[in-house]
Amino acid sequence: MTDGDPALSSQQDQPGVPPPASGSEPGPELAAGRQLSERIARQFGRSLHIRTLDTGSCAACEQEIRLLAAPHYDLNRLGFFFTPAPRHADLLMVTGPMVRAFDVAARKTYEAMPGPKIVVATGACALGGVYQPDAFVHGSVAEILSVDVWIPGCPPSPLTLLQGLLVAVDRLAEKVGGLSFAADETQEAAQ
Amino acid sequence: MALWFLRGLRRGVVTTGYPARSDDSAARLPTPPAFRPAALDRSTADRLVAVCPSLALRREADVLVFDVGACTACGRCQDAVPGAAAPSGEFELAATSRAHLVKRIPLLREAGT
Repeated sequence: MTDGDPALSSQQDQPGVPPPASGSEPGPELAAGRQLSERIARQFGRSLHIRTLDTGSCAACEQEIRLLAAPHYDLNRLGFFFTPAPRHADLLMVTGPMVRAFDVAARKTYEAMPGPKIVVATGACALGGVYQPDAFVHGSVAEILSVDVWIPGCPPSPLTLLQGLLVAVDRLAEKVGGLSFAADETQEAAQ
Repeated sequence: MALWFLRGLRRGVVTTGYPARSDDSAARLPTPPAFRPAALDRSTADRLVAVCPSLALRREADVLVFDVGACTACGRCQDAVPGAAAPSGEFELAATSRAHLVKRIPLLREAGT
């Protein structure tokens, strides 16, 4: 324990010490990348238009997505809007297990969207949970499109969807990566 | 007209933040289970894997691999092995990487106990 303390304190001191001169000057491509990501975050942070794409879903996900516009959740106040035209959309919300009959339509929808664009896989089917790949379905949206944000749930509740949308535009940090889904041992001992 | 709208016009802020306080309805949502490693051994884990209808569970040696993304929160695992799983209460599950949703749960129960 005494061995561990000095190492810990020296680590904690490091953020206070100004970084060396070589480290403080990022390369030009790094600065350009940061500028671009800031610009995208600023643009998406103000207002974002969503196009939903149903690739064979049971419509439970659609029910929950429609509920986002209800007064209780009211996604418009957060700057999100639904649009019927992919050409006006920044974000593609894909539900369903990606039926193979929908390949062309999915690709056309994605290509019609102007860049930068975000793809959000919504629901357990879209994430590859419920259906195995077979002659009729790909089984996962990721087989066809490059997915940026994954929203689990069957169906995901409007609250889950809202959090997913805010994670997609970098206004909220992802939470699930830090969860273990193993119940706490101390709780178990108390029982 | 909501007050925040007028405030927003004055300050030039066009949107509001994420809900400031937690939503009461969240407590009633079905949520993916959290598993108790101390209640799991290979045979109970295999029973959980067999009962899962959405292929969210599989077993790799002494680890139960739980794919939160595939889970439909149906609750069958909670019925199949009482005490091994309980609702986690987590509903803010969006992930920026598919791998973040795959959880590895160790099987800590001694065989035969």
